Amino acid sequence: MTQFLSLLLNGISLGAMYALIALGFVIIFKASEVVSFTHGSLLLLGAYSIARLSEPLGFLLAAVVGIAITALAAFVIERVIINRLRGAAVISLAIVTIGVDIILLTELIRRIGSDILNVPHPWAGGSVRVGDVGISENRLIAIAVAAVLIGLFFAAFKYSNWGIAMRASAEDGETAALMGIKQGRVSALAWVVAGVLAAVAALFLVGSPTPGVSPSTYAVALRAFPAAILGGLDSTGGALVGGLLIGIAEAMAAGYQDQLLFLGRGFSAVVPFIVMIAVLMFRPSGLFGTKELTRV
Amino acid sequence: MRLSKRSTGVTMLAASVVLAATGCSTKAPESSGGGGGDAADVQTDIGVEGETIRLGVLTDLTGVFAALGKDITQANELFWEDNQVCDTYDVELDVQDTGYVPQQGVQLYSGMKDSILAMQQTIGSPINTALAPEYESDQIVNFPSAWSKTLTEIPGTGVVGATYDVEIANGYDYLFEEGLLAEGDTVGHIYFEGEYGANGLAGTRAVAEEMGLEVIEAQIKATDQDMSAQVTQFAAAGVDLIALTVAPGQTASVATVAEAQGLDVPILGSNPVFAPGLLQGPAANWLKTHLYVASPVSSFDAHPELLEQYKEAYPEATVSLGVVVGFGMSEIMKQVLDAACENGDLTRQGVVDAFNELEEVDTGGLVVPIRGFETGQSPSLESFVLQPADVEGGATVLAEAFEGQFAEKIAG
Repeated sequence: MTQFLSLLLNGISLGAMYALIALGFVIIFKASEVVSFTHGSLLLLGAYSIARLSEPLGFLLAAVVGIAITALAAFVIERVIINRLRGAAVISLAIVTIGVDIILLTELIRRIGSDILNVPHPWAGGSVRVGDVGISENRLIAIAVAAVLIGLFFAAFKYSNWGIAMRASAEDGETAALMGIKQGRVSALAWVVAGVLAAVAALFLVGSPTPGVSPSTYAVALRAFPAAILGGLDSTGGALVGGLLIGIAEAMAAGYQDQLLFLGRGFSAVVPFIVMIAVLMFRPSGLFGTKELTRV
Repeated sequence: MRLSKRSTGVTMLAASVVLAATGCSTKAPESSGGGGGDAADVQTDIGVEGETIRLGVLTDLTGVFAALGKDITQANELFWEDNQVCDTYDVELDVQDTGYVPQQGVQLYSGMKDSILAMQQTIGSPINTALAPEYESDQIVNFPSAWSKTLTEIPGTGVVGATYDVEIANGYDYLFEEGLLAEGDTVGHIYFEGEYGANGLAGTRAVAEEMGLEVIEAQIKATDQDMSAQVTQFAAAGVDLIALTVAPGQTASVATVAEAQGLDVPILGSNPVFAPGLLQGPAANWLKTHLYVASPVSSFDAHPELLEQYKEAYPEATVSLGVVVGFGMSEIMKQVLDAACENGDLTRQGVVDAFNELEEVDTGGLVVPIRGFETGQSPSLESFVLQPADVEGGATVLAEAFEGQFAEKIAG
């Protein structure tokens, strides 16, 4: 039971971070109709900036500046590339984002260079125990921060002008434009928000129990992608549920590896994708995605 | 008009992506080294021009092993700045960056193969494996910076120390000797999928069979960072030791989680599990008291002169034990080339012959003693045991090179 609860808690904390990243995918998709593959490198950019700036600026300021740098990078990508290609086929845009991702990633890996970069979180490797169940303070704070950020996001999405403009653009771009909504601005802001969410996720992903920035931090974003898809690529609520589902499934599959041995070793790595495929088989638009209606 | 502007943009982007993916290396092959060097009576063919020998280096300066690649390569360069073959020949290195992409490695090798005598270094098991047929047909002597058993199957390829299975078995031997592990104990082993992990796990299995250990195996991918689930599983099973055949990122995670869960057991690792940067992280104190690394190379505290020389040449560098590996493999290459030169034959065939005849190689304590390079066998039976500490290079020697009780049986 202890093992189960520990794994569950770990899965939830991992899922909270997947949810932040997946939310970024969803917002970008809704605002600019781009399936963005740049998230891995944006995540790594956030982690790298925070780690590098921690020494001269101290943790808190480094975190703020690192998040700002990532948001700025997302903004530049949107303004310089995505905005200019508005109207291009969705698939071309997706491939363009893969290209941007490779370029940014190659540069970051080159810069990370020597071994592991550390982010000096004030809570370091501390942990909290309730009975026999333990979780790192870092992950506990991550859950809280993710909950606050996601709450704020949903409130903004529902009540702010930007949220309304974005929902209108996603619903019917042309009509929204005719109503005076500047789609370029909506899209740029969506990229900035996605950049911020990715950098915040990165801030906690490079803390205990996975301390240090290494190029493989990048891979986390790839696991958040199925979270966004299975939740429904155009559903913000779906991103949250999808993230948690993938996080818990992954933690359980890794923790009960021996009991799942009949499925082969390393099963936890494929779990996010198996869960995604299983969901899509029954709900092709994802758990909460909008169903495509076609008149025949 | 608008459409054409768009498509131009896409084309330019596509082109830049392709360039980024291929690493943009356009270096033309050097002209073929002329035969018949000036040095009296020494036969030469490819890669020796006048009194200069040219060696190839296929390293990783931009990929996942960039840190290690840079350290090893700089050490190679530093070594050959100060050393000659036969007191006659200077050595020049043709350094190329594969980015840890096998296809890139194959292309770069075909660019350099007509101008080099041998390969001072090829980083990464996949690239070594991809190039194995060419190295064999081109009669290339090569030193990989990996210790997988499969690499010993390639003729002319010299693994610099014991293979991972022998290495970790020596680590077990140390723990038994020190009373940190006992017969019948339970061990949790986390390992990468692929050759590296499989070879390390083979060592654990062999020791387990001899000593009646119960082994809980946990396979992970190189991109898995969070070891919480695996360590939780080990804690539930009450393991007495955690064994690792992973990369430093996972080591940090294991130590952090073990500390948080109060799983106070030793951690034994294959040599690539450690990097000095781990000592700046939150797991530092736990690692300094719990991690034991079986290693083919010594640490800097045993070779202060090497450290001084390296820091003088590269004052900005953070030193890792890759530097010791680089010096060690260059020293072995020097002994091979010296022997070939003394035999009067610095042709590729001559170098391969000298390599095959090499026995009892001593590098002055940098690398474990090498018994010789026989196909399919671990070149050494010995390992050092290191522990992280606040010294340059990040580790100190706990046990000098020794042959553990399981080594010979595993090495075959």
